[in-house]
Amino acid sequence: MTKLHEPAVGRRLPLVDGIEKVSGRAAYTADLPAHALVGRILRSPYAHAELLDVDVAAARALPGVVAVITGADCDKTFGVLPISMDEYPLARGRLRYRGEPVAAVAAVDEETAERALALIRLSVRELPAYFSAETARAPGAVLLHDNHPGNVLRAVHDEFGDLAAGFAAADLVREAHYRCAEVAHGQIEPHAALAEYDAERQRLTLYSVTQVPYYLHLMLARCLGFEESQIRVVKPFVGGGFGARVEPLNFEIVAALLARAARGTVRLNLTREETFLTHRGRPETEIRVKLGMTRQGRLTAVACDVVQRGGAYASYGIITILYAGSLLHGIYDIPAVKYDGCRVQTNTPPCGAMRGHGSVDARHAFECLLDTMAAELGLDPFAVRRANLLATPTQTANGIIINSYGLPECLDWVQEASGWQRRKGRLPPGRGLGMACSHYVSGAGKPIHRTGEPHAVVELRLDFDGGITILTGAADIGQGSSTMLTQAVAEIVGVDLGRLRIIATDSAVTPKDNGSYSSRVTFMVGNAAIDAARQLRDILLGAAARKLESPPDRIECVDERFRVIGGEGPGLAFREVAAAALAQGGSIIVKGTFTVPVEYQGGKHRGGAVGSTMALSYAAQVVEVDVDADTGMVRVEKVWVAHDCGRAINPLAVEGQVQGSVWMGMAQALGEETRYEGGLPLHASLLGYPIPTIVESPPIEMHIVECLDPNGPFGAKEASEGSLASFLPAVTNAIADAVGLRMTELPITPDRILEALARRQRDSRIAAARGAAS
Amino acid sequence: MSLLPSFALIRAASVAEVVAARRSHADCQLLAGGTDLIANLRHGLGSPTALIDITGLPGMQEIAADPADIRIGVGVTLARLVDDALIRRYFPALADAAATVAASTHRASATLGGNLCLDTRCVFYNQSEWWRQSNDFCLKHRGTVCHVAPTGNRCHAAYSGDTAPVLLVLGAQAELGGADGTRWIALDELFHDDGAAHLTLGADEMLLSVRLPIEPGLLAGYEKARLRGAIDFPLAGVAVSLRRKGDALAELRIALTGTNSRPWLVSGCEALNGRPLDAEALRQISKLVQKQVAPMRTTIAPAHYRRRVAAALACRLAGRLFAAAATT
Repeated sequence: MTKLHEPAVGRRLPLVDGIEKVSGRAAYTADLPAHALVGRILRSPYAHAELLDVDVAAARALPGVVAVITGADCDKTFGVLPISMDEYPLARGRLRYRGEPVAAVAAVDEETAERALALIRLSVRELPAYFSAETARAPGAVLLHDNHPGNVLRAVHDEFGDLAAGFAAADLVREAHYRCAEVAHGQIEPHAALAEYDAERQRLTLYSVTQVPYYLHLMLARCLGFEESQIRVVKPFVGGGFGARVEPLNFEIVAALLARAARGTVRLNLTREETFLTHRGRPETEIRVKLGMTRQGRLTAVACDVVQRGGAYASYGIITILYAGSLLHGIYDIPAVKYDGCRVQTNTPPCGAMRGHGSVDARHAFECLLDTMAAELGLDPFAVRRANLLATPTQTANGIIINSYGLPECLDWVQEASGWQRRKGRLPPGRGLGMACSHYVSGAGKPIHRTGEPHAVVELRLDFDGGITILTGAADIGQGSSTMLTQAVAEIVGVDLGRLRIIATDSAVTPKDNGSYSSRVTFMVGNAAIDAARQLRDILLGAAARKLESPPDRIECVDERFRVIGGEGPGLAFREVAAAALAQGGSIIVKGTFTVPVEYQGGKHRGGAVGSTMALSYAAQVVEVDVDADTGMVRVEKVWVAHDCGRAINPLAVEGQVQGSVWMGMAQALGEETRYEGGLPLHASLLGYPIPTIVESPPIEMHIVECLDPNGPFGAKEASEGSLASFLPAVTNAIADAVGLRMTELPITPDRILEALARRQRDSRIAAARGAAS
Repeated sequence: MSLLPSFALIRAASVAEVVAARRSHADCQLLAGGTDLIANLRHGLGSPTALIDITGLPGMQEIAADPADIRIGVGVTLARLVDDALIRRYFPALADAAATVAASTHRASATLGGNLCLDTRCVFYNQSEWWRQSNDFCLKHRGTVCHVAPTGNRCHAAYSGDTAPVLLVLGAQAELGGADGTRWIALDELFHDDGAAHLTLGADEMLLSVRLPIEPGLLAGYEKARLRGAIDFPLAGVAVSLRRKGDALAELRIALTGTNSRPWLVSGCEALNGRPLDAEALRQISKLVQKQVAPMRTTIAPAHYRRRVAAALACRLAGRLFAAAATT
């Protein structure tokens, strides 16, 4: 056995790469030194058009231009889901959104590249364009993609339990319509890629901001017509992802194609506007939700209809529309659940995955209607949640197995900490309290590519220098995965954190990882790291056992000193034991793996894999607001949030992730939205897209609930996405408490508050006049 | 951000040098802090062949008391305005307004002159070159149609500086310098209600300083409506100044920014003088403001909200100052 007096797991540890970041030493993709040509992309000014010709002759002839490429240079589509690879790196035959890449140049400097773009001539035949799900679906609308009638990428229809009986058994049935605007990730680092092409050896190295180096690698091979072995993908420091980079992106493949055409190195740094155009954000969503409830607050049935405006290409769309339905399950005990979802394609930048993927807007609608109905029945919202808790372990109707469920403790903590019982209904005018719950998967149980390989692999190396190197393909995008892995390995091997270094995301060196999405890394890669660490530990214990002439199970290692259990003397130092182990056969390399058992890979129904997971995180939130009835401004005074992440491997990191989730939820609820004018983005800058500043950031009191999961690494579950979705309905419910307005459209901007107040005043004046007249 | 155009940088030491530089360079712009100019140039809004740095001109950096006035050189940074002892003492509303501009790093460079002469703003104008070209440009720059009012023939871009309305209600005068020497005008005369030509400066003229009369007993304030507490330009900004004589309002002045193509001194406020600031008076103020502001679809936030919030802030600010005046 190994033991650390100060355990590595559970320690509040600053991120292992924090020093690089705060000192400015961290090199992000745009910082990497290179003798590189400047790459620039020509983007479609047309929302929808047949692309007849792209004339690059004048651009090619410009002195200083080394390469110009168009859709003619790559006839392979790409996409993150094998069943919907519908994008070309550079448009071919059709332009489908304003901002779509059409051509690209590599030139000696920015000015030349800019002038070359201006020399490219497009010939098009414009087509009708559709900017809303409604117009795109209307009869007679021109299809964006021939294989999607009605411009519907995917329709989902799922029904579990007896819906009719459920609604019949209800004392109260209510239906409501909610609308959530499209939002963008707003990560601080604009997109960038650096592509090095070795023309003599036909090898490509791509440095990029990706969250998914493996998926990018596959698509690069496909689009270049290369063997994967000809390609190396490296992810340097990344300034935020949140889903903006969980798929291979057009500019990454364009950079590679440009580098090959130029037979050299090309740097492609996108502006903030281009980053917004690349998009992949959370879609504009309409939700109709109908709930049945008994007088005691027990849910009897839910029917939910979701329409997502997906943009011009599929991206993750099929999964997004499935998540909206599958995560109706898994949080409360609901006997009958019906879900109808529709993902529509429109002439706007493609939407993709964004923190909380697909579940956020549907959860918002559900929790708002739940609150409305609780109020109508005179029930406390906490009591309603408690009336519908799951009894775990359990399996949901849609096939999700739940072994750990910390929602009750989350509810208890936020209720107590916020003073809910004492204060609700007794706050000064304009102030209100609201609550809501949410949950999220700890990694999608079924991988996107069915290769038969384990779902996560981690390698550990120990050599003569006595240092242990963790080799992982897991993409640290600021969420702290490298730190988590360091803590996990230190804990199991029983070594000082300082003995570990981590090398990540270089495909020439590190094992493949599927990527940082669906909050899979702690659960899956953490478990793989534990597996590897156990193997290394056993090798070391074995070597110590030989030296100490005792069986390995009689050896203990405490703070890096190996002794026989109960023995006296100084024991063996780590270096001695390592040397003994190395003497067996030189440098030690172990490989740990993790695979999700098949029973956790989802239900048998179509789309059943989506929502599948080994463990769910849970969150409850209380939000206190102050609504200014003169200006319509909503100020969030305070937030109380409890998040069940199972074991908090790094409570400091967990707190940061939960605060970030809550804050991102606030941003979506109260201000952020993309806005298009004929398909052109009005919002595509950090001035136009109102990400909140520190001035409106509320104090967030956070509590970690550790409902250990039997399958999680040290019992851990996800911590980065689950708390986002509950903020939206919690603040909406708080506004209802504060000023009696049930807002059904997000973001809840000041103009919407003033309009709703004015409407209510008008309605009551009309009612009073009618009353006086009768 | 995109590439800046190539330009010559000329550091002028006198107004005469500024005039000469302007005459010898086609298409040049004056540069002080550059926090608005450079951002706009990176958007391709202009390609000057020369930028003339005016921060070294005599008097640019001065805040000085003539006995009855305070004179502020237009090169004084907003950060200095926020902290300066004279400004805080005599014109705290100006310090408050300066403090609402952008964020601290901008204010360290941004100047009073730059804020007064701020280019007007519109969602159809403040976009990249690619964006504006995709939209066939606009009436203000390289196009023929105002996308905000397509059937009209004027530009509706909104004036967006925060210091102007405060200076207007405080009765500021502006010193202009040019080929023919210097002259003083009422600050109100500096502006013109045209989003494409909102400054009345002659081709050779530049702003040199601003002069504010010290008026004991005059209270003033500024409130800014915007989605966030920093960074954003005003959706509407309201400055109010007034005196109180017993229970009666006196010398009420209201000025607005963000709602028209020029900072707008509300006319008709005199009708409220000599009366208490009661509910009826507030209703009248609200009506005056709502009638005179003309917000158009130049922002993502709806125009009707900007009208409403301008009126609400005017009433709230007038009420706050009137109540404060009772205790002084």
